[in-house]
Amino acid sequence: MALAKLREMLDKKEISAVELTQQYLDNIEKRDKDINSYITVCAESAIEDAKKAQNTIDSGNATAFTGLPISVKDNICTLGVKTTCASKMLEDFIPPYDATVMEKLKASDIVMLGKTNMDEFAMGGSSQTSYFGGVKNPYDTSRVTGGSSGGAAASVAADLCAAALGSDTGGSVRQPASFCGVTGLKPTYGAVSRWGLIAFASSLDQIGVIAKSAEDTGYLLNGIYGYDANDATSSKKSEGNYTSLVGSDVSRLKIGVPKEFFGDGLNDEIKTAVLNAVEYYKKLGCEIVDVSLPSLEYAVSAYYLISSAEAASNLSRFDGIKYGLRSGLGEDFNDLIKNSRREGFGNEVKRRIMLGNYALCSGYYDAYYKNATRIRTQLKEEYASIFEKCDVMLTPTAPTTAYKIGEQENDPVKMYLADIYTVTVNIAGLPAISTTCGYDSKGLPIGMSLIGRAFDEKTIIAVCDRFEKDFDRKEAVL
Amino acid sequence: MFNSDLTKHLAELSKISFTDDELEQMTSDMTNIIAIMDKVCDFDTSKKAYALDAVDYNDLRADEHKDSYPTEKIVANAKNVKNNSFVVPKVV
Repeated sequence: MALAKLREMLDKKEISAVELTQQYLDNIEKRDKDINSYITVCAESAIEDAKKAQNTIDSGNATAFTGLPISVKDNICTLGVKTTCASKMLEDFIPPYDATVMEKLKASDIVMLGKTNMDEFAMGGSSQTSYFGGVKNPYDTSRVTGGSSGGAAASVAADLCAAALGSDTGGSVRQPASFCGVTGLKPTYGAVSRWGLIAFASSLDQIGVIAKSAEDTGYLLNGIYGYDANDATSSKKSEGNYTSLVGSDVSRLKIGVPKEFFGDGLNDEIKTAVLNAVEYYKKLGCEIVDVSLPSLEYAVSAYYLISSAEAASNLSRFDGIKYGLRSGLGEDFNDLIKNSRREGFGNEVKRRIMLGNYALCSGYYDAYYKNATRIRTQLKEEYASIFEKCDVMLTPTAPTTAYKIGEQENDPVKMYLADIYTVTVNIAGLPAISTTCGYDSKGLPIGMSLIGRAFDEKTIIAVCDRFEKDFDRKEAVL
Repeated sequence: MFNSDLTKHLAELSKISFTDDELEQMTSDMTNIIAIMDKVCDFDTSKKAYALDAVDYNDLRADEHKDSYPTEKIVANAKNVKNNSFVVPKVV
């Protein structure tokens, strides 16, 4: 049900915040054993949150978010609630503070149902690298959810929350949203504070929203955006009011379609569904513009070099001493650190740290890291040129639909190449939204993405909403 | 060319210990990964001078004194604590 509708029901006392929360907790109890979307369910504290929210509603002081039950990705710090990053390293970590996004939402008496499963340290596109077991797709439990916010996407698709907070470093909100048949919004870099988001790649990370509709993603984004003195990269440019263009006339907009996103490697059924969406906008009256992103071919390599270099630095804080797993093996200081990291990190995290140090180390830095940053500048320029010709760009979200568990997530090269359609958005710091635009012959959701100008989330939300209003979305049946 | 000596060097930089079998597997994985990373070396940098991209920092917060978190809360997640301090093996 739409967040605005739930708000109305809560305000009209058609349902209490406790009843609504209990419904979702019952759903989790019944269904999550089949999909493993939550690492931690906060049943008791959620009911307490709901009672507090109901008091606020009863006193006439409810805000847009009071009493709405959401899930939170387990790399977002939550005061007093375990935050594991789906890693053995942080299996017992209890943050002494809330992330800024949680401070904001808690101030509005939102209800947190629990912390969702993910790829370890958000490094992956399958949500199978979690120390707590992989997440299964609500549309077909033999298949992956995508990732890294796979638990968040699955929790929304299976009605285990009203909406979810995720994070997106290279597609980690949009791609699982695509695989799980829901809507995922990655805001502009700097639109939402990263304070309290456990860092993976600081120049690319961004907290995002997953929900059942574009309007709902904008609704929740209204509660978390804005400048934060604790995050020097957060921006004062965001204006909020992200749903203000929903329902407005979008038929005069120009939609760019980049040819490089429709070449070899794209599944035929996905190509057809996404081009049908292009045709939908054309019939609506939108002008369809051919655009080009020539440097797309370099994007995956540049993304992995930059993000891994930043990860190698960010994850050096996990030494077994201050927090996290501490190995009992080893005699000296260095052994303690090396063994703690050996025991605490999974294979993919180790690969990223090794790759990052390769890109940064003497003899390779100029050829790899420096070139990757030049490609980043080039991609930003190409996007700037594209947005002189059009208002939004429409692309597939992923080259495939959800694949079978075990089929490709153990092959890092295959996994990295599958990020081709999402990483440029993070590299350029732009906002993008993914929604379902069709179903393949197996009934699996197909995602398309709408990419916008920096800080113009309103337009992509409105354009996406227009499509969703005419699209026959099928619910997952568990 | 990626080889086990380079893997050992990177493992040292990364402060991760590996068994011999793990090292062999990592060398194999990294060989395949670097093969696709080599693509950035094909990027033509001769057309123009590229500024190395930097993150935009916005308003930095004022440099003002603020109380920090209580020490007990900060050390609460450490596995070995004594007198509100982290315990580490002897270094010197």
